[in-house]
Amino acid sequence: MEYYLDSLSLLILISSFVLVANKRINSYIRTFRLQSFLLVILAGVIGMENFFSEGSLEIIVIALLILVLKVFYIPRLLQNTVNKVEYKVEKDFFLNIPIGVLICCALVMLVYYSVSSVIPADTGHTRIYLVNSISVVLIGMFFMISRKKAIGQIIGFLVLENGIFTTAMLTANGMPIIIELGMFIDLLTAVMIMGGLVFKINENFESIDINKLRNLRG
Amino acid sequence: MANSVFYIIVQILVMVLLSPLIKGIIGKIKALSQKRQGPPLLQMYYDLYKLMKKDTVVSDTASWIFRITPYLTFTATLTASLFIPVTIYLAPLSFFGDIIMVIYLLALSRFFMTLAGLDTGSTFGGMGSSREMMISSLLEPALLVAVITVGLITGSGSVHGMMQAAAADSITVFQPSYLLTFMAIFIILIGEACRTPVDDPSTHLELTMVHEAMLLEYSGRYLALMELGAAVKELIFITLLANLYIPLEGLIEIASPALALAVSLVFYLLKVLVITVFIGLAEVFTVKLRLFSLPNLGALSFTLAFLGFVQHFMLGR
Repeated sequence: MEYYLDSLSLLILISSFVLVANKRINSYIRTFRLQSFLLVILAGVIGMENFFSEGSLEIIVIALLILVLKVFYIPRLLQNTVNKVEYKVEKDFFLNIPIGVLICCALVMLVYYSVSSVIPADTGHTRIYLVNSISVVLIGMFFMISRKKAIGQIIGFLVLENGIFTTAMLTANGMPIIIELGMFIDLLTAVMIMGGLVFKINENFESIDINKLRNLRG
Repeated sequence: MANSVFYIIVQILVMVLLSPLIKGIIGKIKALSQKRQGPPLLQMYYDLYKLMKKDTVVSDTASWIFRITPYLTFTATLTASLFIPVTIYLAPLSFFGDIIMVIYLLALSRFFMTLAGLDTGSTFGGMGSSREMMISSLLEPALLVAVITVGLITGSGSVHGMMQAAAADSITVFQPSYLLTFMAIFIILIGEACRTPVDDPSTHLELTMVHEAMLLEYSGRYLALMELGAAVKELIFITLLANLYIPLEGLIEIASPALALAVSLVFYLLKVLVITVFIGLAEVFTVKLRLFSLPNLGALSFTLAFLGFVQHFMLGR
């Protein structure tokens, strides 16, 4: 059982590596959807375990919420935004992709180093959970600063949130449901506002490249 | 001694007879996904048989390298396949670090293939050779790191030892470090077998071909040997994945050695089928990457292998 959770958290980490290796906005959205689906499986497994041991349905409810929000609703919202703004295939990153992937690898090393200074050796699975999920947070942050287009930055933000959720889920069996709900509503409004902003940026600058925002400042 | 001779016979028979089938299965999956009938499963056997009977034409400007390359490539690949046992029940040829030997035998065959591509002086050959070298320089470090990681996890220096240690465990793909190296080797498999995201095996379009470009000048028996060598190379990687990561031998307890051998061979065929279906699906769902996007794939597979190493090193499992 424990091995499966290890491997699931690892798959979430790998999916964020795949995200960094992607080039097109459509594949960002697809990879984010995949990662969220893995998160649903993770939350579902933990929820089932919790249900049979304590009889509480909270985590299963949260898993269903993620399924609706992060697997179906938010990707579709983003896809609609992308379809509405003019789609141009152009270079979307500041660093080229192999270097990006290797930097993410270095980030994971950094997390290993810092986690082993926090938790001493041989504490079992918590270490591997922590490393994998905190790495997802850092990779999401890296993704946010390495992409030029606004959609990529939204995806980076969402991946960061996925990482935080994974950390909470794996180390503490999730947060109280009221906090989770608050976070979801926060996330939803944030993404909706950002989607609207992307649309507005595109209207004013005829591109969603954030570098262009510096034109005609003032 | 007799056992080892028996092993070599079984190994070579399985490798040579099974490898053309892989291409047939992948072709069938691809055809089904496009609602076509597709070529028959045994098409490559027919092709090889026909090529064996045909005359070979050799360019006047070609040197001896062009002539020895098919034999050298084929024998080197087949020798490499001897170190990757299809079943763990026979005593194979193995010694400490033979996986490095495998990698270098494959590198030798690739080296001569690229030389032969350059040898005839055709423009496509040179192009294919330089591309092949670029791809191999991207994938080889990842393969070394992945394989050494598996060696560290299982505590063994030879492929047979690794497979035995994996078989003593349960199905190993589900364990974290194994999972990472599995994915790395799968990407490498696709690259080495010239499958879709890296190379398009079904076209002879000058802009996209890599492996075909080097074989362009070959005909008849030479071509048959080169094609068979490439198929065996693909099967080597599939065997590595099948026997390292999905060892089903631990699930059954059979006392009689002959029966155990037969059952493990059947399991082996099933595992090869499953992995081949996965390769076919990867081929259906992806498009060929631009040549300059290949470093992304290389970096990804290297990173996965390296993370597997670190995970094992840091966590001790």
